[in-house]
Amino acid sequence: MKSKRFEALAARPVNQDGYVQEWPEVGLIAMNSPFDPKPSIKIENGRVVEMDGKRRADFDMLDTFIADHAIRLDNAEKAMSIDSLEIARKIVDINVSRDEILDITLSVTPAKLTEIVGKLTIVEIMMGMTKMRARLMPANQCHVTNVKDNPVQIAADAAEAAVRGFAEMETTVGIARYAPFNAMALFVGAQAGRPGIMTQCALEEATELQLGMRGFTTYAETISVYGTEPVFMDGDDTPYSKAFLASCYASRGLKMRFTSGTGSEVQMGYAEGKSMLYLEARCLAVTKGAGVQGTQNGSVSCVGVPAGVPGGIRAIAAENLIAMLLDLESTTSNDQTFTHSDLRRVARSVPQLFSGTDYICSGYSATPNYDNMFAGSNWDADDYDDWNIIQRDMRIDGGLQPVKEDDVIKARNKAARALQGMFRELGLPPITDEEVEAATYARGSEDMPDRNVNEDLKAIEDMMARKVTGVDFVKALDRAGFPDVAQNIYNMLRQKVAGDYLHTASIFDKDFHVYSGVNAPNDYHGPMTGYQLSEERWEQIKNIPNAIRPEDI
Amino acid sequence: MDQELLMKQIVEQVMNAMSKGVPAPAAPGGRMTAANYPLAEKESGKIKTPTGKPFSSLSYEKVLSGELTADDMRISPETLEYQAQVAESVNREAFAGNLRRAAELIAVPDDRLLEIYNALRPYRSTKQELLDIANELDQKYGAKTAAGLVREAAQVYEQRDRLKKF
Repeated sequence: MKSKRFEALAARPVNQDGYVQEWPEVGLIAMNSPFDPKPSIKIENGRVVEMDGKRRADFDMLDTFIADHAIRLDNAEKAMSIDSLEIARKIVDINVSRDEILDITLSVTPAKLTEIVGKLTIVEIMMGMTKMRARLMPANQCHVTNVKDNPVQIAADAAEAAVRGFAEMETTVGIARYAPFNAMALFVGAQAGRPGIMTQCALEEATELQLGMRGFTTYAETISVYGTEPVFMDGDDTPYSKAFLASCYASRGLKMRFTSGTGSEVQMGYAEGKSMLYLEARCLAVTKGAGVQGTQNGSVSCVGVPAGVPGGIRAIAAENLIAMLLDLESTTSNDQTFTHSDLRRVARSVPQLFSGTDYICSGYSATPNYDNMFAGSNWDADDYDDWNIIQRDMRIDGGLQPVKEDDVIKARNKAARALQGMFRELGLPPITDEEVEAATYARGSEDMPDRNVNEDLKAIEDMMARKVTGVDFVKALDRAGFPDVAQNIYNMLRQKVAGDYLHTASIFDKDFHVYSGVNAPNDYHGPMTGYQLSEERWEQIKNIPNAIRPEDI
Repeated sequence: MDQELLMKQIVEQVMNAMSKGVPAPAAPGGRMTAANYPLAEKESGKIKTPTGKPFSSLSYEKVLSGELTADDMRISPETLEYQAQVAESVNREAFAGNLRRAAELIAVPDDRLLEIYNALRPYRSTKQELLDIANELDQKYGAKTAAGLVREAAQVYEQRDRLKKF
């Protein structure tokens, strides 16, 4: 006989997910592997001669880079001598300040960082995040893509996402040659929706930098680093090439962060028998050593790997916390789809959403999942109301707010028309009124007419050869009768001259005032400190349109 | 960021100032600190474009008239140095180092910068080719710390057998 209870359970979405038992020898273990190195450091004549049980002669490329660049040596021996449990307790102790914690954690090795966070429960990790994230107020980032690479839809979706509250937006491509259109559509759409939103286009490293140099984007994020040398080589980079690339971005006034995450090494077959979290701690040390202001981490596109092993989702939160312990801007993933279960996908986001991080998602899909070209997201446009109501239920700021349908329709329409005008003025293939209308009311690309892809790609090639830049967008938008959108684009370009937004965890408000870890540092030190919802913000979050008003009864 | 958050920020700054005393003024010798940040608002008189135009003179109208071009809308080495000083004032030395390396690279043209980045990828260059790039950065552009990073890479790539194979 078969149990009917078990039959019903077997059909549940959670049982369509893949799980695997721990296998430490190949790195299929989230954290606390018996093969993780024991923390150690030896310094002679201002040089690290031993780190995490390895002598300098045995260092691989990552060890060398980390030892030479990532650890503050003047305090290292003292910090390494403090018991990891004591440091873990300091992290959750409201009487120990963020700065005091950083004095220790900026001076320790990857194995020590791994050992410290290994002492924390998930709730303690969340307490650590609340205290250790760099910026006072949390924010959120979204993905804006579609399967057709339709630029009109990108502009409209970006404008809607802006009205809904996202501070940063990321696009990418189905067809690589569409990248310039996607980047400019995102730029225009975001600025039409709310001035001051930063935008990026995820591409191969050198191409991504090129678009930034041209003024098509304002920041970059998909600069991947890995936790073992062979995987780094497979990624066609080294810590040195990536550190150089980081400086290239800053030299053009472009904000940037690195990307890494647990599970990438075991997925690529070279975990060297270490836990996923230890290897991620190495990635974060490389990020720190390169002098980059922040990281997108939290397994990111490898989430299926840690999600399959015991304690894997805790490890993802732990890796976010390590980033914060290194004083890095923490952009905490919650992006790629990893489960069939709605319960699991909410639970996965609880640590970052409830604690608040610099960017909770990186990103939240601003389209239905079928249009998400980053292989789907844990959250998408169909979940907007769920997110808003969870914020309302828990009295938290997840970076979004309820919106009115009229406002969204207006913003989408304006963005689509602005892009239509800019295309016309730049001599690009026309955007028809039919496309504008469709984008205004669309849920996704299924509602959009097809464009002539060959004509678009030819025009892109020609536009890039003509050396069109962000400055040309400003002029074209002004000529097209959208001076306010043009002003916003100009203001973003102007910010690159000042470079304030290069700093840790920066965001802009609608008046292009920057908030970062410099002028809005997180000062949490216990109840009723740190970021507190203002009455006005709480009004905005709690007033969902579908709540019954007592006076109406 | 919303208006209400801005207000909250102002109130918090005032309260912080009341509890800790006034924010530190710029350090002697004109070094920038967190108190000067954001530079776009507080030090706009000191920022210039790489083409020598004062930040405060930039305007939307000048972009429309063509008086300002894409070459003007870039960051200058001096501004990056100021931002590096701000970073140091909040104990972000590694980040400050990156900004200083970046300041040196402003002079390197876009295409050459991309070529050098690609040359630093694994198995792309011989040791001599990397050393030549380091000398070019050093001598042609005065990019001393960037050159140092490339020399370091040349040595580590040799030890780890990541140089170009013949």
